[in-house]
Amino acid sequence: MIAFPLRRRQRRHDGGAMGLVLEDEWSRRSVRWGLGSAHRLLLLLLVVVGLGPILWLAKSAITPTIDTLTTPMAIFPHGLAWGNLSTAWSNVDVSLYLRNTIVIAIGSWAFQIVVATTGAYALSVLQPRFGNLIMAALLTTLFVPAVVLLIPLYVEIVNPPLIHHSFVNNYLAIWLPEAASAFNVVLMKRFFDNLPREIFEAARIDGCGPFRLFFSIVLPMSRPILGVVSIFAVLASFKDYLWPLLVLGDPNLQPLSVRLPQIAQFTPLGVFLAALALTCVVPIVGFLIFQRGFLRGTGLSGALKG
Amino acid sequence: MAAIRFDGVTKIYGDGTLAVDALDLAIEEGEFMVFVGPSGCGKTTALRMVAGLEQISGGTILIGERPVNHVSPKDRDIAMVFQNYALYPHMTVAQNLAFGLKLKKISKAEIARRVRDAAAVLDLEQHLQRKPKALSGGQRQRVALGRAIVREPAAFLMDEPLSNLDAALRVQTRGEILKLQKRLATTTIYVTHDQVEAMTMGDRIAVMCEGRLLQLGTPEQLYTRPANTFVATFIGSPAMNVIPAPVLKLGSDSSLVGFRPEHIRVGSAENGSVGFEAGVEVVEYLGDEQLAHLRLGELSLVAKLPVAERVEPGTTAAFAVAREALLFFAADTGFLADHPA
Repeated sequence: MIAFPLRRRQRRHDGGAMGLVLEDEWSRRSVRWGLGSAHRLLLLLLVVVGLGPILWLAKSAITPTIDTLTTPMAIFPHGLAWGNLSTAWSNVDVSLYLRNTIVIAIGSWAFQIVVATTGAYALSVLQPRFGNLIMAALLTTLFVPAVVLLIPLYVEIVNPPLIHHSFVNNYLAIWLPEAASAFNVVLMKRFFDNLPREIFEAARIDGCGPFRLFFSIVLPMSRPILGVVSIFAVLASFKDYLWPLLVLGDPNLQPLSVRLPQIAQFTPLGVFLAALALTCVVPIVGFLIFQRGFLRGTGLSGALKG
Repeated sequence: MAAIRFDGVTKIYGDGTLAVDALDLAIEEGEFMVFVGPSGCGKTTALRMVAGLEQISGGTILIGERPVNHVSPKDRDIAMVFQNYALYPHMTVAQNLAFGLKLKKISKAEIARRVRDAAAVLDLEQHLQRKPKALSGGQRQRVALGRAIVREPAAFLMDEPLSNLDAALRVQTRGEILKLQKRLATTTIYVTHDQVEAMTMGDRIAVMCEGRLLQLGTPEQLYTRPANTFVATFIGSPAMNVIPAPVLKLGSDSSLVGFRPEHIRVGSAENGSVGFEAGVEVVEYLGDEQLAHLRLGELSLVAKLPVAERVEPGTTAAFAVAREALLFFAADTGFLADHPA
């Protein structure tokens, strides 16, 4: 109850403004009422648009199919169908596909992180002789539409150079192409470029070689960008449909993104919605667990003057 | 500790910029050597070459008796304190101090002892478990110093370590560094552009300009017998007055005469002194003394006067300088000339 007046008093001390609105303007009833209403309306809209579909899915997952079909927008269903969840989990094999999805996502994440960090470290910190040329080549690949590369990439996966052993129906068929992400390397390199060189020099004097510098100094200082790349990597892998469909023909290896459209054809609606809800749980829980650690990071606070 | 020697050391950058030009300099064991000069004079480059952070284009650097041109920074047995602290932000103070020792594979007990000792010396004991972001600027600089101390190196290299501290803290930390250096008796190269720091800290000072060593000497030598007009005007605050000698009816057209502001006194010339009349433009009252900005024709002079000698802005007064305080420089080269005053 007292938090709001205290915050307003604090703002007054900060310069007499409520954001862009001056204190004098804010004291006018029309401005206060108009802006306050706009704020609340906007917040409500954001909740409805952002949270609404998820809440609807959660409700529908435990609603009898008949209810969902007849009154899809009803807030309170006529009875609960918790069985939808267990049926989806075991009979429709959501558990298997979810496991496949998680394995693919973790593998993609690991491969992408390894390639992005080592590539960016080489280009930004070690600076090889033709680093600029390599960087230019990397940037060039960003301008090639991914769909154009589907067929050449598929040919390479079916008959990879040197190895000559098909990766079809093997998770490496997904992990390896995703690891070769120029976007990740460029993003990571930009971050490494902004790390203070004095710290690297101090580490070299302390006795760090290139590997120790990478593992003990650069990576721990890069938690924010590692978080960003990780989120991109996991979400992209979780959502990818076309490429896994092409290279993973065996249903027992396919992820949820590929299996869900096929499940929909022979599964009751309530069970299918339960499967969708279970699918959504993983990224949401993952985000809630990792977002603080990743996004807060250690940054560079205190490393340098300023 | 070890002596450090520069033998004709030159640094030319890839774009052709000559940063250090054939530097010859010998720093004795345990000496506190200050490199001073304006921005871009090559002092930091010279320091970084000792650290191994810059390749040497020509000449040799020796630490002790060992040429180190091709020795990696970690094997030079030196420790460096950076202008911007360069602390590891993800490590605690204790971890920052211990990091270099761990890499040298020193035993845990020995690391703990050295960290404890350094923390005690630098008054960091209560901050050992904090991260750098939780420390003030002065504390961070002390951690940076501690990181150098725990290594017990042959030489300390300090690159303007006080330039980011406020005035009061700078004076305090200056004293702490001096005490520490005297106690450890470790050879130290200290880079600064602040001539007050150079004068107060250095056993000897190397004044550099445009990559060249202009003068090497004790603070007193630099102050009383500057080798040229650059050193004369760079060392000392306010700067030495350097004017054409004929203005004071001394010497020839080709010479300049220099005298320190504190050598000017109010009054007419007597035996053994030269006199001049100048307009008083501004008087800066400093409490124990006053700075009078004088106008002598087209020339500006500064006089440091006792507060008892009242001079009023806007008036003209007679001033005098003792002849033995005058220094003569060649007008064309700027070098000090042994001119009979």
